[in-house]
Amino acid sequence: MEEIILRRLVIKAFHINQVMFGERTRMDPGGTLIIARDFLPSLTESEPLIEKIDMEIISPGDRDRWTNTIMDVIPVSAKVLGKMGEGITHTLTGVRVLLTGVDADGVQIAEFGSSEGCLKEQIFYGRPGTPENNDILISFNVTLAPRAGASRPGPTAAHRACDVFCQILRDELKKMNGNLCTERHEYFDKSRPGKKRVVLIKQVAGQGAMYDTCIFPREPSGFKGGRSIIDMGNLPVLITPNEYRDGAIRAMY
Amino acid sequence: MGIGPSTKETTLHHFKDPLVDILSGEEEFDFLGIIVVGTPQDNEDKLFVGTRAAAWAEAMRADGAIISADGWGNSDVDFANTIEQLSVRGIPTVGVNFVGTVAGFVVTNEYMDTIVDMNKSAEGIETEVLGENSVTELDARKAAAFLKLKMRRK
Repeated sequence: MEEIILRRLVIKAFHINQVMFGERTRMDPGGTLIIARDFLPSLTESEPLIEKIDMEIISPGDRDRWTNTIMDVIPVSAKVLGKMGEGITHTLTGVRVLLTGVDADGVQIAEFGSSEGCLKEQIFYGRPGTPENNDILISFNVTLAPRAGASRPGPTAAHRACDVFCQILRDELKKMNGNLCTERHEYFDKSRPGKKRVVLIKQVAGQGAMYDTCIFPREPSGFKGGRSIIDMGNLPVLITPNEYRDGAIRAMY
Repeated sequence: MGIGPSTKETTLHHFKDPLVDILSGEEEFDFLGIIVVGTPQDNEDKLFVGTRAAAWAEAMRADGAIISADGWGNSDVDFANTIEQLSVRGIPTVGVNFVGTVAGFVVTNEYMDTIVDMNKSAEGIETEVLGENSVTELDARKAAAFLKLKMRRK
């Protein structure tokens, strides 16, 4: 029998080859991303558990340096048309957001084993979930109040704050002219009647601080609007392949 | 015990998940979707949520399942139970998990006969290097190939 197409997702990638700080956040199709840090003071102020946020741009040749434990590597993607899993999504390549964390007493924000140390050595570059060798990293380093990393609200605040920054980039990314993308990928949820029916079960973290998973955020790979698997009693949730590929999961550990 | 840096699946990993990629590209499969299930703390809860996932797979009339876990230690309880629950429902299952030399399963059962070990470090340990032991395209291909064999044998 013929395969049946259920829905289509188009992901358009925009490659970034230069990132710098400036007065106003903007990106251009030539591959330059300029980031304004003026939002940081009020953001830090609004999060009682966060003492300090430091942002840095790390070029590929500049990785021989200290990093606090890596809480997450986040792709910058934005929904342009349709709902998660269908329509059009814009995403940046060549650049990744690196969320790292420590508390004011120097305790790393990690659950079981932590990855602080030399940035060059503490990441295995080029894995599906890690930056490529030549990616530019935007480091978003959060210092939490003493001992705030030990219970859920601390790490959650770090993710929420980082998402505020990512949203500023997403709002710019949405404005990019789709015709000027550097890569275009089409994905389909489809049914193949008569073929072997296969399901993937992903067992994810759901036990507490630094061990949580957020599902269906408002924006791809985002935080805001997502539901915690812990709050859902860790019960199974079904996600279609296209929803999954469109960033339905935010790793919270 | 839970998830160490080397097996940790970042948000980027989920975005580019090789298992989703390989399974949806496989022409011999009708890929039904992804069941995401948490790993609660309490033992009774672990058995409950994993069994619900297996019941769901059965209701989807799945011919086969791949289950992956990025943690080890107490999450092996969830992993072993869900594999058992799928298997007793007649669904051939392949597991993808970190074993290496340090993470032998804390619980096992007779159904855990097809496991892809995602370890890649020479010493077979949690190296604390982000992503070193995480699932790659090759692991996903292996899991899909094992599942094909297991479904054929049934």
